[in-house]
Amino acid sequence: MSATPVAAPEGLRVLRAAFVWGLLLALAVGWLGADFAFSQATLVATYAIAGLGVVIIVGQAGQIVLGQGALVALGAYAQTLLVQAGVAPLLALPLAATVGALGGVLASLPAGRLGGLYFGMSTLAFALIVEEALVRWESLTHGAAGLMVPGFGLAGWQADTPLAQAAVSIVVLLIALALAARLLRSRLGRAWRAVREDEAAADACGIAPGAAKLRAFIVGGSLSALGGSLYAHWIGFISPEQFGLVFSFELLMLAFIGGARRLSGAVWGALVVVAIPQAIAVLRDTLPGDWARSAGLELVLFGAIIVAVVLLRPQGLASGPRSG
Amino acid sequence: MLSFLQVLSSGIAIGCVYGLVALSFVLVFKATETVSFMQGDLLMLGGFAGLALHLAAGWPLALAAVGAVLAVALLGAGLERVALRRAIGQPHLVAVLLTFGLGMMMRGGVASVPAAAQDMYRLPFAADTLGIGPLVLAASHVWVVLATVVLVLLLALFFRHTRAGLALRACSEDARVAALMGVPVARMHTLAWALGAGLAAVAGLLLAPITFVHLNMGLIALKAFPAAVLGGLTSLPGALAGGLFLGVVEALAGLVLPEGAKDVVPYVLLMAALLLFPQGLAAGRAGGGGR
Repeated sequence: MSATPVAAPEGLRVLRAAFVWGLLLALAVGWLGADFAFSQATLVATYAIAGLGVVIIVGQAGQIVLGQGALVALGAYAQTLLVQAGVAPLLALPLAATVGALGGVLASLPAGRLGGLYFGMSTLAFALIVEEALVRWESLTHGAAGLMVPGFGLAGWQADTPLAQAAVSIVVLLIALALAARLLRSRLGRAWRAVREDEAAADACGIAPGAAKLRAFIVGGSLSALGGSLYAHWIGFISPEQFGLVFSFELLMLAFIGGARRLSGAVWGALVVVAIPQAIAVLRDTLPGDWARSAGLELVLFGAIIVAVVLLRPQGLASGPRSG
Repeated sequence: MLSFLQVLSSGIAIGCVYGLVALSFVLVFKATETVSFMQGDLLMLGGFAGLALHLAAGWPLALAAVGAVLAVALLGAGLERVALRRAIGQPHLVAVLLTFGLGMMMRGGVASVPAAAQDMYRLPFAADTLGIGPLVLAASHVWVVLATVVLVLLLALFFRHTRAGLALRACSEDARVAALMGVPVARMHTLAWALGAGLAAVAGLLLAPITFVHLNMGLIALKAFPAAVLGGLTSLPGALAGGLFLGVVEALAGLVLPEGAKDVVPYVLLMAALLLFPQGLAAGRAGGGGR
């Protein structure tokens, strides 16, 4: 019914997706210039990895998560501190993802017995605690002043061109997508969907909802942390405020726009979320007067986009393929 | 002992503000099942509206305060009519995103007024102190507590003795049955949003002499979430009690714990409460409907 649709054979779908995204990238390179296009592709891929975590927790396991930004922050800080301590960046990636998984466990501790909104509130509380801890633990995180992040490199090779960064991000994204797709087809993926549709019924069928939710947070947390650790490398500087409540909501919006029921929704959502600030910047330049230069306009426009998306497509999260 | 009493009084005052915001959140949530993430922005808007009417338009302070609350209440009702009612019956996340976006628009709207974006303002009332024996209390704190008591009494009267209040309660208990009994449910939703927005604006005005009026004063509403959850999410007295409790605990934690730790206390308490007493909290929720 509302399981992952298996319309076309697996191989064909992958080929089709590869063709569509390859075409998009080629168009972007032709239209925007190679460097800009690749740096944007890097951002899209990185956001998509982080958004994949939200898609799994919200879209597959059906839980409300209001503080995903904190898990991304944990990944970014873990990666930065590890690399600063001399760990090879490639080796640090899985470690940072593990830190995110641990964060996911902590954030979802009340999940065993709670459902719905209470649980969402506890993830919000977790995120606010993490943010405050990052600000206050100055000996480790330099507080609000932030940390400089070394570049991403591998045995003497440095990913310092947009092309190299895009390649690394896309490879990591593809690996994450493949792993997530494999998980969704497994017993665990079925358990998530069962819990999403009806927790009591899932429980009656011998699925432990608490364990399923916990695992959703472990997987979602490690994916988001992985996205965060790459993000830290590409941006080159991290501070707690980058990963605040607004970022958490950006990730939610990403899943909402792309469609949280499919993994590919994370990638489409990431494309839109990365494009929005650019579109706003273009719009600001075309508007006349000083008023357009004020910082408030950006907030208004961003808020208006969220509102418009939600109003025009309120079923963004809820609609499964069942209507088709 | 004296400093303890002073800290306690400021804790109670801040707790009243948390409680009022939590009250506005729960009121909306109960009546419309909408999770509002814009109560903090409505609070900020209330503060700025009062400021604008008093300082810029030159209205007397009391009139400006009433005008600000009415304006924000009207805005809440209008937003319900235009946008928020579309979120009813959808998953909670839809309302969460929608209200967050609307809140962002309000913050952006205020931020694009240059005078509002740059400064912190003080509403010219309750700036002095009251001495009771050796105890010195900030007048603003006393004001907050008195205003909260009056408001709560008015709300209790409204919910118990007026037709609209009873209808709103019926609507919160079970919208379908209420509709069958002839309660205009859609209009009650609008009323709930007007009340919720107005209450948030009152909280903003009361907060004005304590933290000043500024763009980020709405952040205080984040602490209303733990207050509302501690109170059971569907209980109006519970929300107020939760707010008071958090305010007092937070203030006392400021005495004992190192600098900065006091800001996380509400969230730690929330996580602890959710972990330790899920049954107690869930019981309040299960009482609502027989689904």
